[in-house]
Amino acid sequence: MNKKIGKALVVGAGISGIRAALDLAETGYGVTLIDRAPHLGGILSQLDYQFPTDRCGMCKMLPLVDRDASSQYCLRKGLFHENIEILLSTEISSVEGEPGNFAVQLHQKPAWVDQELCTGCGACVQVCPVEVPDLFNTGLASRKAIYLPVPHSIPNSYVIDVTACNRCGACDEVCPTNAIRLSQQERKKFRILVVDDELILRDSLKAWLDDEEGFTVDTAGSGQQALEQLEKSTYNIMLLDIKMPGMDGIEVLKKAKETFPDLNVVMMTAYATVETAVEAMKIGAFDYLIKPFDPDTLIPKILGIYEKLEATRGRELQVGAIVLCGGTAYFDPATGKDTFGYGLSPNVVTSLEFERIMSGTGPYQGKLVRPGGGKPIKKVAWIQCVGSRDMQTDADFCSNICCMYAIKEALVAKEKTNGKLEATIFYMDMRCFGKSFQRYRDRAETDHGVCFKRGRVHSVITDDAQGETSDDLILRYVDIGGEAHDEKFDMAVLAVGQRPSPGTAELSEMLGIDLNEWGFCQVEPFSHTKTGKEGIVIGGSFSGLKDISESVIQASSASLAASGVIHASGGSITSEPSLDTDFADVSKDIPKVMVAVCTCGEVLSKIIDTDQLTTRLMTDPEVDQVVFVEQTCTADGWESLVELVEKHKPNRVLIAACLPYIYARKIRELGHKVGLNPALIDVVDIHTLLKDKIPKNEEPSGFDAFDLGLSTIEMGIAALKHLDPSPVATVPVFQRALVVGGGIAGMTAALAVADHGFEVDIVEQGEVLGGNLNWLKQTLEGHSTRTLLDETLLKVEKHPMIQVHTRIRLTGAYGQVGRFYTSIEDEEGVVNTLEHGVAILATGGTEAGTTSYGYGSSEAIVTQMELEMKLSENKIDYGQLESVVMIQCVDSRQEPRNYCSRVCCSTSIKQALQLKEKNPDLAIYIFYRDIMTYGFTETYYTQARKAGIIFIQYDIDKKPQMNVTGESDKPLRINAFDPILGRDIEISADLAVLATGVVPRLPDELALSFGATVDQDGFFQEAESKWRPVDSLKEGIFACGLAHSPRSIPESIATAEAAAQRALRILSRENLPAGKVVAKVRHSICSLCEMCIEVCPYGARTIDTDLEQVVVNPVMCQGCGSCAAVCPSSASILEGFTIRRMFDVIDAALSGALN
Amino acid sequence: MAISAKIDVKDQDILSSLKDFFRSILQLEDVSAILVPQHLPMKNVVMPTLVTDPEHLDGVDPLAPIFPVNTAKVVSRLTRKPAGGKVAVVLRSCEIRSFIELVKLKQGYMDEVVIIGIDCLGAYKNTDYFKFVGEDVTESTKKFYQSVLSGKGAAMDDVDLSSACKACEYPVPDGADIIIGLFGLDTNNQLLVQAKNSKGEELLTRLDLPDLEEPQARPDAIESLITERTDYRDKMFAETTEATNTLEKLTGYLANCINCYNCRVACPVCYCKECVFVTDVFNHEPSQYLKWAIRKGAIKMPTDTVFYHITRLAHMSTACIGCGQCSNACPNDIPVMELFRTIAQRTQEAFGYEAGRSIEDDPPLSVFMEDELTDVVGI
Repeated sequence: MNKKIGKALVVGAGISGIRAALDLAETGYGVTLIDRAPHLGGILSQLDYQFPTDRCGMCKMLPLVDRDASSQYCLRKGLFHENIEILLSTEISSVEGEPGNFAVQLHQKPAWVDQELCTGCGACVQVCPVEVPDLFNTGLASRKAIYLPVPHSIPNSYVIDVTACNRCGACDEVCPTNAIRLSQQERKKFRILVVDDELILRDSLKAWLDDEEGFTVDTAGSGQQALEQLEKSTYNIMLLDIKMPGMDGIEVLKKAKETFPDLNVVMMTAYATVETAVEAMKIGAFDYLIKPFDPDTLIPKILGIYEKLEATRGRELQVGAIVLCGGTAYFDPATGKDTFGYGLSPNVVTSLEFERIMSGTGPYQGKLVRPGGGKPIKKVAWIQCVGSRDMQTDADFCSNICCMYAIKEALVAKEKTNGKLEATIFYMDMRCFGKSFQRYRDRAETDHGVCFKRGRVHSVITDDAQGETSDDLILRYVDIGGEAHDEKFDMAVLAVGQRPSPGTAELSEMLGIDLNEWGFCQVEPFSHTKTGKEGIVIGGSFSGLKDISESVIQASSASLAASGVIHASGGSITSEPSLDTDFADVSKDIPKVMVAVCTCGEVLSKIIDTDQLTTRLMTDPEVDQVVFVEQTCTADGWESLVELVEKHKPNRVLIAACLPYIYARKIRELGHKVGLNPALIDVVDIHTLLKDKIPKNEEPSGFDAFDLGLSTIEMGIAALKHLDPSPVATVPVFQRALVVGGGIAGMTAALAVADHGFEVDIVEQGEVLGGNLNWLKQTLEGHSTRTLLDETLLKVEKHPMIQVHTRIRLTGAYGQVGRFYTSIEDEEGVVNTLEHGVAILATGGTEAGTTSYGYGSSEAIVTQMELEMKLSENKIDYGQLESVVMIQCVDSRQEPRNYCSRVCCSTSIKQALQLKEKNPDLAIYIFYRDIMTYGFTETYYTQARKAGIIFIQYDIDKKPQMNVTGESDKPLRINAFDPILGRDIEISADLAVLATGVVPRLPDELALSFGATVDQDGFFQEAESKWRPVDSLKEGIFACGLAHSPRSIPESIATAEAAAQRALRILSRENLPAGKVVAKVRHSICSLCEMCIEVCPYGARTIDTDLEQVVVNPVMCQGCGSCAAVCPSSASILEGFTIRRMFDVIDAALSGALN
Repeated sequence: MAISAKIDVKDQDILSSLKDFFRSILQLEDVSAILVPQHLPMKNVVMPTLVTDPEHLDGVDPLAPIFPVNTAKVVSRLTRKPAGGKVAVVLRSCEIRSFIELVKLKQGYMDEVVIIGIDCLGAYKNTDYFKFVGEDVTESTKKFYQSVLSGKGAAMDDVDLSSACKACEYPVPDGADIIIGLFGLDTNNQLLVQAKNSKGEELLTRLDLPDLEEPQARPDAIESLITERTDYRDKMFAETTEATNTLEKLTGYLANCINCYNCRVACPVCYCKECVFVTDVFNHEPSQYLKWAIRKGAIKMPTDTVFYHITRLAHMSTACIGCGQCSNACPNDIPVMELFRTIAQRTQEAFGYEAGRSIEDDPPLSVFMEDELTDVVGI
């Protein structure tokens, strides 16, 4: 029988990993989130600005209900969640078991700096003598061997780059909290046995590893000696030569392994015998080294092994499912052959390098200057498709996001230079296929003057004519008409494409999952998340690069799949966090405050007079005790604090120390131990403040420091006195979902919810379920959509938790998260009310109608959908066809429908290939503006061109002209301009196919009745396009499928799964807890001006006309305080932020300043 | 075509013509009452009266140079909820603009009122009016309007218009449903009546008044009046800014304040049921006063006076329509209006907002724009 395990492992803590972890945690599962990097955030930790809003906003992913389970500050800086355990510098070493019950072995790199003790003071950096390239800044700056992995984490602990560290010990000496574990003893304990017949090699290895690096090294001159030595002492690793007289290395290895199976053996081999070394790995060797050695390469390698082995004190984890969010790597232009001068000129950089140049935490503090020479950047060229859509680098794929990030970089760079920077983007197709992206691109061109040049850059050379000191660049490019140009630029930015994340191959082998031909994780048909192995799912860019919105959608979709597996195998969710209700209510008692001041060793007494501090604090009659604790951050210090609290029994405790956020867990424990509500214990940071205020290398002036310390503590006391730790409000949940629309998205969402044991109503206005799948037959990849539909229909029909209502009109809805009432009406006019806790809008979309290109005037002019139906019904006489013209972007990507419908280019290619297959002699011409075969569908574009399908690019102001000749043979004549030929062409055709794109079917009133809104194109308006892509701003309402945005079937399914996941977050609880800080209304003084309702961004406020009161839904309220700010009479207040409290805090703050 | 009609004036007696006009409105079937300023029989003061009986309109006196209360507050009370009948309300321009602000703040509704605005001739401060008015209120009023309308100005008998009225650039009540025009007309013989919207038209149609085209002289008269007022206003802004542009100067400016809160009571757009300044929040602990005194050596009592005015500016300056009731109500002659209008000019300009202009303009704090006030926030 399976063990019930409500736990999941999320591998990779980039944006999709964080999303997946939060989703699962919010649903109630325990999550372990690991990343091999020493920091959270993945690639986004390096990106300050993200399209299409050109700003961050990651914090919008934080939980909106039960907010206090999680940290509520900048998510880029860090994440704490009650249900998430975060392990950094950690990788998977093995996985065993079955879906619902995996045993995972993790290994974590040793932390040479104790993360619990490190306060991030930075004293170590001042003294570290080693400088190495700073990879966070893509090598454009340098850092020390002890460094912060990212500049902005909270808590920000230092780590040591062991391979760079020379172990001088300087950092250890200055560390105030003894957090650094780099002592000689640690390494001395690590024993290495060097086995080689050459004395000189033995000696030099001993010299390098023992004398220099501080390990304990013994040597052996032969295999026999080595075995004897192994009997005598225990070794951590044995470095073993392969070619030795007598017993050779292989034999020694075999024998050693028999007796000491756990011994780590590293083979040493000359290049010629590498194959033997590889053999040796198969019989148990840990790694191998290739001779000849030089210390610069050998030592880091040994140190790497040392670090790895030290880590094998890793841990085992039992989880129900594994979500892989490993992200991607990027093409390294240095690996190509003279890739656009990269590496030759410092002013040719990758897109990521340019991101760092623009960043305030970057090598030039955000100033736009060139890496070569430091001149201000004035004219930049972006070169697209570097390592993408490129056969030479085996990259027959599109990397999805480079067009957009190039535009973003151009716009941000322009903004930073007040529009003065000249930006040119060289591209093949501008793939702005995401929601709102086309307008973003258009604005870049028309409003901001970004220059878009279609054409291929041939080479980038330095402008030598300017003299040797010039680092200016000359770009040679060929425009679409074939003409060559030379143009001078300050910089070239290479839009580097995706490559599989390092270690993907190893991971796939370990887990038994498939990779696609380019080494990315292969997902199952119609899914973006399912691997061939149940229980192991993919989130985000691990299966190919994605923008934030898509990554977030797929991460949620992946967490749904993981949750499904855990649920199906009987995994229960973790127990709900206990609410702090069982504490004695002391809020009405006179405050009896204990102030515990951390002296940080002797640091505090050097800065301020602690006796005077006590005297001053004790003048407040409500301060009961002032105690000093040596180091509250250490176990001893904390223990002594706990004892003091137990002894004096205060009803409020203020801890004056540093880094308040690291105390959250400790405070909770302390509260439970002494029976004091943790809400009445608080921490203020005095040390960081004092440290920052006191100028370096100067004697602190004592007096100022004293006032600062005093007023900070007094502010904390004032804040603490007025706290009201009343229990948090909850909102009951009617645990049933409504899905509006019964297409594939709606059905998928419904099934996902129902599979978790909750009832679902599907409301469909049509006669049958299935939506657009009723007329589609197969996908570009050749998967049958018919099978998908049949299987899904069967599941829906048989599902005991799903009730389907067809031929139903939705007439109205009202309510709020947890409980909505929706009225529906059938064809006979019978009205019914459905009650539900959440709603998912999946009303779908359809092919746009058109009157362009003579549509309607000839039977030979059809839409894509009409051709699709003819093809599937076999109504095409292939033999009769000689010439077919397809026209892309009919009425779309131009106002008023200025968006890309994503599916039309691949549909045309699919249909063209199908026609070609039936009739290879058929001539097919596709008129396009930009071919949008993004991602791995690019390969079908290549295939289509190889199949002889002719692609002709046209500009919006030079559209092809359709003439209906009326003749029975070739009834159509198309006149157009061919930019490659540079002249007008005329094509006679039997058939013209119009790609009209997708329009949504989401009526305004329907969206509004649920409190959602639609965007200017009629699609669902997301709460935030990047970070909350399937949520409405109103909690409890979600959208998916074509009602959300134009999408392919798997993309629609991904949104449906994401929407279901977001819904399950709510449905999985009987009661939704609100946050501690929520707004409330003092009705007796409320003037009912309703300004608070207007300003509430979460729709949490409504007016109850019967009671004549403004009411607040505590769960929807996010405690932002807009209502309190706008309310002039303070009738609207934020729990805990009473005016009185704020006044007292301000007074306390001023008391120091004015003294 | 919008209705533009005339009311005949006999014997140069505008008040009688207005009385007849208001009576005819009150006699309309669907008008339940009319709210109109009348001089009260018992005393020589003019107050808004709510009249249902056409016989009770003898004291109609909307042109008296007194403005004891901003009637917007009264209209707000009448319309906060359905009253059960339509009320015609006769208001000054600034009262209409206050009412528009109150409606946006849900303190009143337009549905059951018809707003009649009269070209505003301005008013004296209350205390000045009592110096001016004689035994026969009607005669005093006549003296006033004849002086103003004949171009001789409002200053007489040592009194002059209040500074709020002198600085008022809205003499024509554009927000009304029906406007009664005086400027640029031969008011000895006729007054102009115009419907400004369909509601006004609907009502005027039924009165069946003779047509009158707006005379050419009217726009010119209005324009020159506004120019004069605007000049005064801008000078006032400059002087007030100079007088209050440091915390010290501002403290001095408000030094006379005794926390009586009359200005707040008189303010038409100060709509709170209970002002935060009368709650316990400002009833500090006795020890707190002592602490402050210890810290500074000496503090002015009562405390929180500057804070009070700044708070009111923060709360209300975007809605300030400049009626001047605050100054009128101040027992210690603090030029409150000057300060509020000066600040309001800036805060309203910052949001591209003009208090009282239109019911369609949302109050600045209820509007969220991603990019606004970039010069202030710096991003």
